[in-house]
Amino acid sequence: MAFACMFIPDFPVQAVIRQDPDLRYKPVAILEGAAPLTKVFAANATARALGVELGMTKLKVETCPGVERRWRAPSQEVTAHAALLDCAWTISPRIEEAENGSGAGLPGTVVLDIAGCEKLFGSQQKIADDLKHIAAEVGLEANVSIAGNPEAAICAARGFAGVTLIPPGKEADYLGPLPLSALNIPDGLLETLARWGIHTCAEFAVLPEIAVIERLGQPGQHWQRLCRGTDLRQLLAKEFPDHFEEYLQLEFSVDLLEPLLFVLNRLLEQLCLRLRMHILATTEVKITLTLQPDDFRNKQPVLHIRTLRLPIPVAQSKMLLKLLQLDLQAHPPNAPVTAIHISAVPARSRTRQLGLFLPLSPEPEALEITLARIQSTVGEGRVGAPALLDSHRPDAFQHNRFVLPEASLKKSTGERPSKAALRIYRPPLVADVQLHDKRPVTISCGGARKSVLAFAGPIKTSGEWWSETPWAREEWDVLVPALRPKFQPDTLANQPQENALYRIYRDLQSKRWFVEGIYD
Amino acid sequence: MKYIELHSASAFSFLEGASLPEELAETAAQLGMPAVALLDRDGVYGSPRFHTATKKHQIRAIIGAEISIADLGYQARPPSWMPHKIPQRPVRLSLLVENRTGYQNLCRLITRYKLRETEKGTGTATLQEVAEFSQGLVCLTGGEEGILASSLAGDGYDKARRNVKQLVSLFGKQNVFVELQRHFDPVEEQRNQAAVQLARTLKLPLLATNGVRYARAKDREVLDVFTCIRNRCQLNAAGRLLQKNDERHLRPPEEMSELFSDLPHAIANTELLSSRLEFTLADLGYQFPLYPIPEDETMDSFLRKRTLEGVQERYGSKNDEQLFAKALKQIEKELQLIEKLKLAGYFLIVWDMVRFCRNHSILVQGRGSAANSAVCYSLGITAVDPVGMELLFERFLSEERGEWPDIDLDLPSGDQRERAIQYVYERYGKLGAAMTANVITYRGRSASREVGKALGFDAENLDRLSSLVGQFEWRGPDDNWKTYFEQAGFDTNHSLIRKYLHLCNRIQDLPRHLGQHSGGMVICQGQLDSVVPLEPATMPGRVVVQWDKDDCSDLGIVKVDLLGLGMMAVLEECLQLIPKHYSKPVDLAQLPADDRLVYETLRRADTVGMFQVESRAQMASLPRNAPEKFYDLVVQVAIIRPGPIVGKMMNPYMRRRQGKEPVHYAHPSLEPILKRTLGVPLFQEQLLRMAMTAASFSGGEAEELRRAMGFKRSESRMQQIEIKLRYGMERNGINAQTQEEIITQITSFARYGFPESHAASFALLAYASAFLKCHYLAAFTAALLNNQPMGFYSPATIVKDSQRHGLRVKPIDILHSDWLCTIENTTNKRGEEVPCLRIGLRYVRGLHQKSAEAILLAKAQKPFATISDLAQRVPELQKSDLVTLSEIGALNSLGKAIHRRTALWQVERATRPVGPLLDAVMDEEADVSPLQRMTNEERLVADFHGSGLTAGPHPLTYCRDALTSMGIKRACDLERLPDGAYARAVGCVIARQRPGTAKGFVFLSLEDETGIANVIINPDLYQKYRLIINREKFLRVEGILQNQDAVVSIKATCVMTVEISAAETQSHDYH
Repeated sequence: MAFACMFIPDFPVQAVIRQDPDLRYKPVAILEGAAPLTKVFAANATARALGVELGMTKLKVETCPGVERRWRAPSQEVTAHAALLDCAWTISPRIEEAENGSGAGLPGTVVLDIAGCEKLFGSQQKIADDLKHIAAEVGLEANVSIAGNPEAAICAARGFAGVTLIPPGKEADYLGPLPLSALNIPDGLLETLARWGIHTCAEFAVLPEIAVIERLGQPGQHWQRLCRGTDLRQLLAKEFPDHFEEYLQLEFSVDLLEPLLFVLNRLLEQLCLRLRMHILATTEVKITLTLQPDDFRNKQPVLHIRTLRLPIPVAQSKMLLKLLQLDLQAHPPNAPVTAIHISAVPARSRTRQLGLFLPLSPEPEALEITLARIQSTVGEGRVGAPALLDSHRPDAFQHNRFVLPEASLKKSTGERPSKAALRIYRPPLVADVQLHDKRPVTISCGGARKSVLAFAGPIKTSGEWWSETPWAREEWDVLVPALRPKFQPDTLANQPQENALYRIYRDLQSKRWFVEGIYD
Repeated sequence: MKYIELHSASAFSFLEGASLPEELAETAAQLGMPAVALLDRDGVYGSPRFHTATKKHQIRAIIGAEISIADLGYQARPPSWMPHKIPQRPVRLSLLVENRTGYQNLCRLITRYKLRETEKGTGTATLQEVAEFSQGLVCLTGGEEGILASSLAGDGYDKARRNVKQLVSLFGKQNVFVELQRHFDPVEEQRNQAAVQLARTLKLPLLATNGVRYARAKDREVLDVFTCIRNRCQLNAAGRLLQKNDERHLRPPEEMSELFSDLPHAIANTELLSSRLEFTLADLGYQFPLYPIPEDETMDSFLRKRTLEGVQERYGSKNDEQLFAKALKQIEKELQLIEKLKLAGYFLIVWDMVRFCRNHSILVQGRGSAANSAVCYSLGITAVDPVGMELLFERFLSEERGEWPDIDLDLPSGDQRERAIQYVYERYGKLGAAMTANVITYRGRSASREVGKALGFDAENLDRLSSLVGQFEWRGPDDNWKTYFEQAGFDTNHSLIRKYLHLCNRIQDLPRHLGQHSGGMVICQGQLDSVVPLEPATMPGRVVVQWDKDDCSDLGIVKVDLLGLGMMAVLEECLQLIPKHYSKPVDLAQLPADDRLVYETLRRADTVGMFQVESRAQMASLPRNAPEKFYDLVVQVAIIRPGPIVGKMMNPYMRRRQGKEPVHYAHPSLEPILKRTLGVPLFQEQLLRMAMTAASFSGGEAEELRRAMGFKRSESRMQQIEIKLRYGMERNGINAQTQEEIITQITSFARYGFPESHAASFALLAYASAFLKCHYLAAFTAALLNNQPMGFYSPATIVKDSQRHGLRVKPIDILHSDWLCTIENTTNKRGEEVPCLRIGLRYVRGLHQKSAEAILLAKAQKPFATISDLAQRVPELQKSDLVTLSEIGALNSLGKAIHRRTALWQVERATRPVGPLLDAVMDEEADVSPLQRMTNEERLVADFHGSGLTAGPHPLTYCRDALTSMGIKRACDLERLPDGAYARAVGCVIARQRPGTAKGFVFLSLEDETGIANVIINPDLYQKYRLIINREKFLRVEGILQNQDAVVSIKATCVMTVEISAAETQSHDYH
């Protein structure tokens, strides 16, 4: 058995450098967090040598001369990690994304089962060199190690720079000098070992195994075996596919929607079939179309990603196909598609029993298609249900995804219904208001100048004084002859306009007046 | 039209108001209001300060409160469809005090429900209680917190009408006002319309108020921040919890009249109502309790008898007829004055407390100006003989002053003091006595932390900032928020940071919550709850009044301070330990007066742990003062004070003491007064006597002088008194130049003066502590360690100091340590049995006393054989406790050749039960451990981490050779170097100081294995190495040695970090 591990040191930095190779030999600090809480998230060795520390504020980094500052780019990290996996897949179909002790993924680390690969690619040294070379081609500088078990390989790749080959049975010797911190041992265990005066793998390795189990339990044994390089765990190979993903590399690129839908249909049918076999459905389908790049020398994948989020779990391929069709019509890929990746977030199927006497509501599936149609017409982000925000700011609302309300009888809350409805102009109408004795007397808006017949107010509100966008306003309700002609049938066209009740306000920051809306 | 604001709340509504009472009073006066009312939430916390401030601005303070009510539902909140996070809170009744009965009722009402509180700020009154205490109070229907808003928002108009009618039935028709507020809010306006209709139908008067929560509109920001602090949320997420606008400020009468132009009678009623509310805090009706006496006695005759008994005991034993006669004369004079001022009851009550303490073996000693009174001395209240020491009685009590005398009693801190306090409660009843409050205000760190949280800064940034906020007494030009922010890495040009900075400044000194004063108690003849509301303190069994000690004093309420003094507890513990371990009884009253060893030690400034003389500044002046007798110690205690230092009295005194300059008196008539202090006035009494002698001031006039120049300095009063002084001196024929000299001496010094009587009381304790340290080091050190935290040095320094003085200190040991530090007998090299100190389990970090008691109980039954035996028999011990005990070597005695790592190895297994099957198997290899012993450095780190001290060698011992090769001197070597030599020293920083009187200089104490080296850092050097000086645990300092008059210090020119040890040593900073 032989396993290789590729590890990208200072991964967030490398993920950025990969897209900006000019930075490769410069000190780089990666920043994260909104101002003024921006802090250093990662830094390369050159930057650390200049005094940059993780967690340092932006202002302090600026005092370190010559350090290049870049923002953290999670998407670049994801693509860098994906590229790393791609590199690994070029050598072995059995790869594993490494995890830390608590099961969280370790971005920038991948383990490969290279058993039998020698026949295809040559010696272990050649494989290791190839892996390093391939990583370099996608812009990543990797540590590569080969060992008899996955964990030893991971430890070696994390602990030693460059290429490390550990001969079979020599794992303990090689890993011995490594500090325990290179192993991702949980903090509690690391503290206990530190109290014992155990700081390196070798020191831990020589402790009697049974005594360690008595004291540290099975986790202790696991970590000690790691230090001895004798861990015998199986690789949790990524080749065991996630059952709810489908991927298709097209033999010929497709540039028309119809043939693409034909292929999609096939994939979706398989996906839904698998979902249904598990009595599951999906609430989110993500389609990633790999597009043909303009420049073939560019090995970086060009992706066209669309995500369908569904309010109800769905397992019917036809409905998913229809929704995808509407989405892709609205957002067609701008280049021929070379690969399709579909992933579905599994969810429990809908099992709700409809009430016999409840009023019929639209079929959720049909409603979703209708919403998708409306969105493709009015534009993304313009369909939803408004929800009030907890704020004094007038007209403060957000729009949520529209879902059918639960059918239930509404109870009277005892609150008085609102007596008037305000139709808000979006955006508000700019106006000019004349005041007399601090009260509005005339309003000019859209070329019309009207006298105020009656008024109520002012209502004063202000807020967010701590932010960069403080607001303050003073509003009045005014009765004036109608500012805008209301729609009237031709027969009434010549009749005089009625008076109307408006809400006007003065933005106290800009000192400008606006007509906000009209009361029905 | 006149308008008076009758509904305003101050920052004493604790996070519900944003301005101090003084600001409200000042703003109201500026706006031309003849009166203004203060209604804080559930109390009258701010009323004394409000009363004083309004008096200053010559307007009238109307007192009231908002009372939380249980039976009237909850405060109005936005409708359910509107998202908000406003919590449910009971409605509040706004009550205004009309007369003294009303005030007493309000206090009783608040006390009644406050004392029921299980959690601070949650108490509510019942309607029945309101009915009981409604007389003399006027009720307003309130703003958004009130009953009207609540009823209208909930059940509508009819319910509101019923509720208001209920108020009418409680308070009477003429005492209910329908309140209207206008903050430009439509919901409020709807409410106002309903209120007007209600008032009309129920024929109730309308009253306009502005529901004030801050003095000026800009303070709305502070209120918003407070709201976030109260609701534990950030401003960004607070939503409707925050203010809608900034209209709840004090509004000019014209604006209010314009705002209520449609309802002018609502404005007019404010003046009408205000004229009815005649009560002021000047009319409290406070009476000090009378002492219960036998029927055939009067209070005065009873006091006289007790005093004369005391005279016999105190002075009779001195066999000095002249002194006895003088004492009798003085006592007669004092008793006559006491009789005249009707203060006999007060003296008897204090005497009673002292008697209780004596009967229950609690050490007690009066301090402060009471030590000037021969009556107090005779009654056993104080321990200093004022007649023998010629102390000035007028400093304590004078006819002209017209205020209560102030008696402070020092008691051992801890349980003994609590017993004395509980005795007072028992004697005067729960509602007859209470502790005074201590208003906790926002200071640098708390302000930066809480504002930062509200603005959404993360904990890490806030920690960094807080660590930079200076706690030094001296504030240099760079000790400001802007510098702190910049040093913490914040960009002060960013608008959010600027706002943060600004708010930190703004909330400085605003009240945060009410604490308990350390010892001030107030007692009342009738019921104290009718004078000021009482509430439960956080400490069980304690009741606290809503005012702090200054407020109580301003309002003429007499207080007795029962102060906990760590040194009293140390002395008391020594009195128990010494007979037990040294087989000698010791009586503090009978200590040899002029012990040679004590004075030698004091002259060497070898005073770590000694009361009042252990600070760095004291140590620096002790060799120069070179005390030889008790009075020198009294001077020593008094001289290191801001007064003598600012008044430039210290150096002349020291020079005269050393014979470097002749003793000189400003005027021959002052010689008797200043003779003892070599012509330099050092005590307040001297100042007063100087005025009395040179300008023929009466005792009362002299006291007036002290007050005029005291803390609350008044320029106009000062000028008047100066004129009087000059006039008096002129009349006594003192020439102009001498007059000037005397006045300069008086004015430059009076502000921070230290009473001689107080210094004498402290000097007694200082002498006692020095005596015990010199003669009973083990007992003194054990007692000192058992009463930490106290004093100037950390336990680690105390241990090292005692070791340097030859005490053997044994480490914590599970088989030998008690909870407290104890004394064990051990044999020294000469074969003699000597006492040594065993560190107690109380120094094991994280170990609870209950767990330690369980260890002691199990150990008493049978000593522990192994670590697993310990773990099994004391299940209270957590794994973390066992780990700490192992790390500090406390388990090394549980087996053969066990070292700390073996213990850790065994603990790890002992705390992981494997079941009965494997138990036997595992015991076989119990003692075998594959782990290496800890190195010296590891042991040091473990000792300091696990117990904060080490009984082993000092960290510097291990690297002395290397340090010597670098030319670094030991602390003990420095005194042998000549003045002006260049010296290098390395040490563990044990104290950092930046006293207010030192103009920005910083003083460091560096400890090594041989002693303590003193370092002086000039302000420029401090600025340059601020971070290193403040953060590093070990420092290397180089500079010019000052070796003058046996006072040795290095005037640093360079400060460097040095790698000595990672041990978490502690420094006592900034005091």
